[in-house]
This record gives sequence, C-alpha cells and structure tokens, in this order.
Amino acid sequence: MTESSPLAVAVADLTRTFVRSRSRLPGRLKRRPPESRTALDAITLTVPSGEVHGLLGPNGAGKTTLCKILSTVLIPTSGIAKVFGHDVVVSTTRVRPLVGVVLGGERGLYTRLTARQNLMYWSALYRQPTSEGAERTAKLLERLGLEERADERVETFSRGMKQRLHLARGLVGNPRLLILDEPTVGLDPAAARDFRGLVRQLRAEGRTILLTTHDMTEAEELCDRVTLIDSGKLLGTEDPRTIGEWLSAWERVTAEGVPAELIDRIRKVEGVAGVEIDSEGRITVETAGDGTSAAVLSLLVDGGVTSLSTSRPSLEEVYLHLIGSRGLNVG
Amino acid sequence: MIRLALAMARFQIAAMRRSPHDLMALVNAPLFTVIFLAIVRYTGRDDLTGYAVLAPAMITVFAMALLASGEIIANDRTDGRLELLVASPSPVAVVVLSRIAMITLVSLVSVAECWLVARVLFGKAVAVPHPWLFVGTLAAIGLAMAGTASAMAGLFVLTRSARTFQNSLSYPFYILGGVLVPPALLPEWLRPLTQVVFLSWGTDLLRDSLSEAPVQRVLPRIAAVIVLGGTGFLLGAWLIHRVLLKVRNDGTVSHA
Amino acid sequence: MISDGLRILRYAAASGFADFRTIYTVRTWITGWLFRVLCQVSFFALIGRLIDSPEYTEYLLIGNAVMIAAMESLFVVASTSWERWTGSVPLLIAAPASLALVLCGRSVQWLASGTASATLALFLLSPLFGVDLRLPMALVVIPLIALVGLSTYCFGLILGGLVLRADSLRNVVGNLTMLSLMAISGAQVPVSVWPDWLQALSAVLPVHHGLAAIRGVLSAEMGFTEVLMHVGMEAIVGTASLGVAILGFKRFAESGRRSGAIEFGS
Repeated sequence: MTESSPLAVAVADLTRTFVRSRSRLPGRLKRRPPESRTALDAITLTVPSGEVHGLLGPNGAGKTTLCKILSTVLIPTSGIAKVFGHDVVVSTTRVRPLVGVVLGGERGLYTRLTARQNLMYWSALYRQPTSEGAERTAKLLERLGLEERADERVETFSRGMKQRLHLARGLVGNPRLLILDEPTVGLDPAAARDFRGLVRQLRAEGRTILLTTHDMTEAEELCDRVTLIDSGKLLGTEDPRTIGEWLSAWERVTAEGVPAELIDRIRKVEGVAGVEIDSEGRITVETAGDGTSAAVLSLLVDGGVTSLSTSRPSLEEVYLHLIGSRGLNVG
Repeated sequence: MIRLALAMARFQIAAMRRSPHDLMALVNAPLFTVIFLAIVRYTGRDDLTGYAVLAPAMITVFAMALLASGEIIANDRTDGRLELLVASPSPVAVVVLSRIAMITLVSLVSVAECWLVARVLFGKAVAVPHPWLFVGTLAAIGLAMAGTASAMAGLFVLTRSARTFQNSLSYPFYILGGVLVPPALLPEWLRPLTQVVFLSWGTDLLRDSLSEAPVQRVLPRIAAVIVLGGTGFLLGAWLIHRVLLKVRNDGTVSHA
Repeated sequence: MISDGLRILRYAAASGFADFRTIYTVRTWITGWLFRVLCQVSFFALIGRLIDSPEYTEYLLIGNAVMIAAMESLFVVASTSWERWTGSVPLLIAAPASLALVLCGRSVQWLASGTASATLALFLLSPLFGVDLRLPMALVVIPLIALVGLSTYCFGLILGGLVLRADSLRNVVGNLTMLSLMAISGAQVPVSVWPDWLQALSAVLPVHHGLAAIRGVLSAEMGFTEVLMHVGMEAIVGTASLGVAILGFKRFAESGRRSGAIEFGS
C-alpha cells in the first residue's frame, strides 16, 4: 500500500454481457441459440478516496454486477476497472486485501457456527494473525452491538443481526474500500437507522464506501455523490441535494372527498403533472415543480378537505420524470 | 500460507462439531465393525479378524471424503459464501485443501474406533506385526484420499450429474478398493480395474502389515498409492481452478 | 370419510413421487441408483467368496438383496423432514385433514423404488454368483419383498416423527437404523448368533420375520404354514408400527401447538 491513488474506484467503458446458453429441449440434441443480456453498458465512473458514493437504481439496473466486478468476483466483458490504481482483473492479489464486500441478503454465513467463529474464519481468510484476528473480531462484535450474542449460533439471529454480522465480516480485513450491495434491504426502520449511523462513522474513519440502493431517501441521507444507473446504463452522477429536490419536486398529494369543482382548479395549478381519480373517489395529484405541492395543499385545505396526505415519489416515478424531461434514452 | 492452512483446519473442526451429517460415517463405523466381526465369528474364520477391522475403517475414510469433503465447495456455493471467498485475498485452493486435509485426518480416527470395537465387544485385539508399514500406509492412504476428495469437491460443483451419482460412488469403490475382499479374489475381468484405484494397493498393504509374514515389494506398492492419489490432487487443483474461472467469467457456477 | 382419506394419501404420494422425479429420471435411476444397489449387494455377497462357501454366498446374496428394500424404505426418516422445509406443516395442522395422513403418504416413492431395486438385485445377481433361485417358484418372493419394504416403511414413519423435532439428525438416525437392522435381522448372520435380548429385539422389528419367510420359500425347506406364520408376524410388526407412527405424528402436532415449535414459513 505504498503507492496511494487519490481515486478509490476508477471505471472506464465497463461493459458486462451475460450469455445464457439455454437448456436443451427435452429429447432433442439441438440447442436453442444463446441469449445475451447486457448488465453493464459502457459505464464510466470515478470515486475519490474517502467518499461515500451511492449507486442508485431499480432492481436489475446492474448495480450488483458492478459490485461484483469491483470486488474481483466477476470479470468484465470489456473496459477497465481499477481499485486504488490496481486493475481488478489482473492485480487481484493487490485489490482483494483493500476491499471489503457485503452482498445483500442473509446468505453467506455459516449459520450453524457462532458469530465469533464466523468472524474468526474470515479474519483468517483476510490473512490476519490469530491474536489480532481475535482482538479485531471482539471489537467488531462490540461495535455492531453483537457482543452479547457473539457465542450463539447465527441461525438463531434475526435478519437485522445477520445483516450486522455481514457488515462486521466486511470490515474484518480493515478494508480501505467497502462495497455494500443493498445493505438495508429487509431491515426494519430502526435497524436501518442504526446502519446509517454506522456508515457515517466509517466515513469519518476515512474509508471509501460504495453503496448500492434503490431507496432515494437513503441515498440522499448518506452519500456525498450519487450515480443513477438503469438497465446497465449510467444516467448521471448527482449531488444528493439534487435528489432531495426531486423528492420534494415530484411529491404526490392524496386526498379524499374532494369536490369536482376543486379538482378542476387543482388541475390548473402550475406544476401539476396530473390528477388521477380512483374508483373510491380518492385523488392523487402528481406535481413536477418546487412549491407545487404546497400550493395544492393550501387549495385543498381552503376548500375544506381534511383527509389528505403527501408522499414522496418512488424511484421509478423519478426515472419517468427524468427520462421524460431530459429525453434520456434508456434501453 | 501455513498460518492460513492451520486456521482453516481449526475452522473445519469447529464446523464439523456442529454438523452431524459430516460425522455420520464415524457414527456408522462401529456398526459396520460389528457386522463384519459377526460374520467372522459365525464362519469361524478368526484369521480374517484383521480384515473385518480394516474394512469399516476404510469405508469411513472414504465416506467422509465423499460426503464431507466432497460437498465443501458445493455447500459454500448454495449458501452464498463462494463469491465472498473468491473476493478474499486467500487462494481458494489452499482453503479447500486445508479443510479437506482436516476432514481426512479426523476420518482416520475410525481406525482406532474400529480396533476398539473389536477389543471391547468381541474381545479381539488385532496385533500389528509391521507397525511402521501400517502407519506409513495409512499416511499414504490419507494423502491419496484427500487428493481424491479434492477432485470430487470440484466435480460436484461443476456437473449436476456428478451430484446425482454421488450416492452411487461408495460401494463400487469399496469393491474395487479391495476394502474387505482382496482384489485377488475378485472376478478376473475386474482385476485390471482395481489396479488404477489407489485404495486397492493400500488395503493390500494394510492387510499385509497385520500378518507375521515378511512383506514383499513395499516401496513400489506405497508409490502406487501416492502416485494414483497425486493424480487426484492434480485433477482436484485443476477442477477447483475451473470452478473459479467459471465464477469469475459467468457470474455463477450454474450446472452445465 | 375413508374416501377423503384415500384422496389425501394419493395427493401426498403424488408429491412424494414428484420429489423422486427431481432426484432421478428413469435413466439415472438405472445407471446411478440400481448400479449402486447391485454393487452393495455384490460387496457383501463377495464375502462368501472370501470365506469360500457357496452356501454362505447364497445366504448373503438373499439377505442383502432384501435389505435393499428395507434400506430404501428407511429414507422415509429423512424425507418426512422435507415436508417441514416446504413450510406446509403449520398449514396442515391448521387444515381439517390429518398431518399424519399426509406424512404417511408423502414418502411411498421409496417403497416402490426399494421393492423394485431389491427384486432386481436378487434376480440379476443370482446367476452371477452361481446361485440357483429355482424359478418360477422364486417369483413368489416379490410380494414378500414388498411386505418387508412396507413394514420397514411403517417403522421408519415412527422415526420420521421423532426426527421432525431434530431435523439435523435425520440422516444419522436413518443410517443407524439401517445398519442395526442389517446386523441383527438375519441378513448377514443367523439371528441365533446374537444374545437373547438382541434376538427378542429383532423379533419385534421389521425385516426379521419377512426375511425368514423369503429364505424359507427360496430354500423350499419350510412348510407352507410356517411361511404363513412369518408373513403374519411381519404384517403385525408393520401394522403396530403404523399405529405408533400415527400417534407420534398426532403428538408432534399437539406438542408443537403447545410449545409454539411449529414455525410458519421456512
């Protein structure tokens, strides 16, 4: 680690296609032509050292593929990916000690063994001497609030605890770059909040974090910069404040018992993108501009409507707006 | 590297203690011993007592190679650990081979186990007139078995049909390996086949080490065990390499 | 009521056979499973060569071929637990149909496969080992092999019910039972070599009586009434086991409701 690169991640024209050879038809020898799917399409991206970088995109956008390539688990079809200046395809022995990886979900642990045994195993795999490994394991268990259950089998753990253990596992090699793939999926709100606190601590320690998510609030809250990705294509890298603006700009207002005349007036408010009325007479107002939802809300309140609420748009809706307004071509 | 190997071996012990499935063969061993010794006693062939003690031990050593070692990579894959292992700075082959070595070492405990069953339940203490040959052959068998196991571990991940036939490998191997009946007593047409199975050389040597008579041609026979077992290691290393290539190239090790 | 019960059994059996088809096709059953069975029986029959006794070779061949039916039936011990993985146990307890009935039916695929492979092993290997089974009279043993399979299946259901509470032991229990039966039921050595208490134990377990009947028919040295008596005893062992197994399943359901051990989902 003598050479230090200011860039934790540097990716250029990175493409990965999966070729799936389809199974033979029963009783026949002829194979159907192979099907190919592009998971990453010429992505270029840099993440400076010390940054918390979000990869935001819906399921199947290619986020996990990028995580796998950066953690040396998957080889790209073309393009270059470097971690702290080392090529992930060739220089695996240089890259691996620098990277900690936490792939989402509950899998990946020895469930019959205890949390401590699992961490000791991984600390050996990350080449730590036994005594240091034991010390580091104890510290991580404490840090992640698992010390009381440290010597119980992982199969008795709740989902949130398993997720914390995964994070401890990712940290066991003291990585400079931590790759977190959908780390909060399936966590209850309290556990997700604790997790965010931890990410902030890790950032304060100077670690670089690459975090994938499809939760815009999470991306806005945690990240220094956010890259939007969809169907394998990079849509752009944004300041998280921009995402905050989208969230409020495309807020939705839902109300019940709105008179028809008032609905007409709402339609005419500037920035209202559309009004939908469902079979029970509930209306959903989509807005597309700063302050629009406030104007709609005050109209409704003035009109005597009391049953109303606002909600943030989903990632898919934001994409629709973005693609619509910028004319992005998303395959 | 040695530190990693030792850590993996220690880990394997911890993992096995929690997995009745992995230790099943050691639990079965006394019953196999009872069955073979009952046959010896019923037929009045006391001269075969040594055979009846060696056979269940060899069955155990192979069964653990097949069921515990053979499933190491396959289990890591199904439980989502294989990718994490690939991402770690440790060479996967070293990890897998260290764990297999530990399993094989534990499986050799069955030799003592079966000897004790004969001593305690049947009052027969099997003597070992050629102790060095006995221990040396066991070591060679252990080595060769670990090599065979590494080949199976790779094979069970790479091909689906291999996993289907996993259960079918045991008894053919026991026959060809001369586990109980010496290869010389098998039908003529089977004998050439036994020559390429390392265990047939090993079990013959073990049986020879239990008889008073001087043993002929020790070195070439031990060499046969080691060379055939070494082929297993080469095959295993190559298959594990293939598994890793497949993981990194295709994203998964889907069944062919 | 009875027709409902039969229908549930039939569906349970269909799900069992569906499991079976995910493991074997006809071709892999023959090249994989049957091949292993033939090797297993040969492995033991070869001991007769080691001893240099054609009579003992015949004894081992018959005993170990019949053991195959018992061995496969004992896979029920493990596959009863499979029902737990599907997450259907709480649904079955909540449903008006009996959990016991479903569990009794869901592993009969082993019974069918076991009877077939034991029969094939006996008739294919006899000529190879120079054993004359005296056909066509010997064909009478096929239903007797099925009976041994059935009574062992019922006994296996008892163990399956116990293992439902300790899933990780499912393979160990099945294997130990198989090897114990192999040792004491007269497959390898006559039951009479064992101490009295083991002989008594063997007599209330499956295989012992059925195997005696099969040996009687094949040697043509046993009278018709004696054969019939052994067959009756094997049937009694099977029926009694089935009763105990059903009680066991009911207790499992009841105690699970009380302790909360019946988990929802996976």
